Amino acid sequence: MPDPADHLGLPAEMEASARPDDFIPAGLASLGIEADEVDLAVMVAVHGIFWPPILELLALDTSGLELERCPDLSKAPQ
Amino acid sequence: MSGGLRAEVAAIAAGEVDPSELLGATLERIEQRNPVLNAVVETFPERSREMLAAAPPGPLHGVPIVIKDEWPLPWRAQRFGAAQLLAPTAAGESGPYRALRDAGAVVVGVGNMHELGAGSTGNTSFYGPARNPWDTERCPGGSSSGPAASVAARLVAGAVGADGLGSVRFPAAYCGLTGFKRPVGRSAMEGHHMATVTTLIVSGPLCADAADCRLLGSVLFGEQLEASDAPGLRIGVVRDSVSEDVTPEVREACETAIEALRAETGGEVREISLPDLGAATLAAILIINSESMSGVTPEQLNDLDPELSPIARGSLKYRMLLPTAATVQASRVRTLMRRRLAALFADVDVIAWPTVPAPAPPLESPLVELPSGTLTADQANVRGAALANLTGIPSISVPVGLSTEGLPLALQLQAAWGKDELLLDAAEALERANERRWVESLPPLAEVEPTEA
Repeated sequence: MPDPADHLGLPAEMEASARPDDFIPAGLASLGIEADEVDLAVMVAVHGIFWPPILELLALDTSGLELERCPDLSKAPQ
Repeated sequence: MSGGLRAEVAAIAAGEVDPSELLGATLERIEQRNPVLNAVVETFPERSREMLAAAPPGPLHGVPIVIKDEWPLPWRAQRFGAAQLLAPTAAGESGPYRALRDAGAVVVGVGNMHELGAGSTGNTSFYGPARNPWDTERCPGGSSSGPAASVAARLVAGAVGADGLGSVRFPAAYCGLTGFKRPVGRSAMEGHHMATVTTLIVSGPLCADAADCRLLGSVLFGEQLEASDAPGLRIGVVRDSVSEDVTPEVREACETAIEALRAETGGEVREISLPDLGAATLAAILIINSESMSGVTPEQLNDLDPELSPIARGSLKYRMLLPTAATVQASRVRTLMRRRLAALFADVDVIAWPTVPAPAPPLESPLVELPSGTLTADQANVRGAALANLTGIPSISVPVGLSTEGLPLALQLQAAWGKDELLLDAAEALERANERRWVESLPPLAEVEPTEA
């Protein structure tokens, strides 16, 4: 089955890093961060906890929201 | 003596207690009780005596206080409970130190804390874990683990913690104390080494009861928090996982406390709706992650101290990968929740739910069994705490019972911006309602008077 990314004409490196299984190693490699097996095991576990709710957060519709500018968090919103 | 902060202040003011003798007795208590608790990681008797000798008259004159390993002292840089920090530290005068000094208090020791402030249990620290005085095989709560264990064991009557995602309220709950979080910008924070974390972390008091929190909090916050009643309190309750995915004992204790608070104040309980609490929790985590990682370089992460825990090492590296779009969305959720809360607080005075969904878990395995299944304590605890940090509202954790295993249970009250005094009033009303049963409960370890004192 052809990879949908093939149709996008992206560089091969970007196609690879877009795949979920490659997210952690690709992200680390792009930033030049080294990780051993223990680091990776922790990161996979943390990713499993955080990534699904991150996707839910991104899907939350906040389009109609007027953002506070420089809010004073000790006070109620204006 | 260790009869509470107010009692110590009053005894010194009346000349019934010599503050130098109180300091000596406190150091003896720490020497006797701390080895099994690991709550205090360092004392400095000479420095404390010098502080006492120079102590001005003030609301805490001569009273020994423990401060969390999160701020520098003039003679000691903070370690943040970790083998390595990603931002520079140095000895110096922090805001909380100055506030204590100017109030006449004596810093008697530094309290242990969860490594890098990144946990709700206190089971991981460069110094080894602090232990819960109610059961030394249990977590004391984090990240202000040592300050809480110090007060619960009555090593001292008051301690200063810090709360970025619940780190004062979790250990207060696990240790049977009252822990108070004010809005950002309203408490002494100067000198905190993570200068980029500007919108979530505040210093806060951990004491036996609300009146002591009012006293220590007034010093930390630089303003007098006046006491009043809380007549006709309108208590909002949310039917959500934060109040329902909890152990039966927690649920019963909190529901009993809410009803007692309602009766004591002649108020009412109103069911309210607060959608997207999960998104709010994640938003707070993302914002504190982005603030704390600001300025951290890949080179630093490639040079982490091998003595940092594996979880800290892996988590720090993972934080670098979090998408910017999620952090931006987190800021939008902050606005969303602030507006929703502002609307809700037109109808209720406080929002009440359990501080933590289960009592303190074992140090060796900090997991909690909830109706939804087994979760790490960190996963479960943050659900009820992060909203206050995200939105800036004040919050307080109050002890409301003991489990069948003899572990403290706690209720959290949250109020609108500027209603800090009302929260303390409500907490005191709750203490009256249960005849101070829970704030005066002591772990067995604290009931044994040191022979020398």
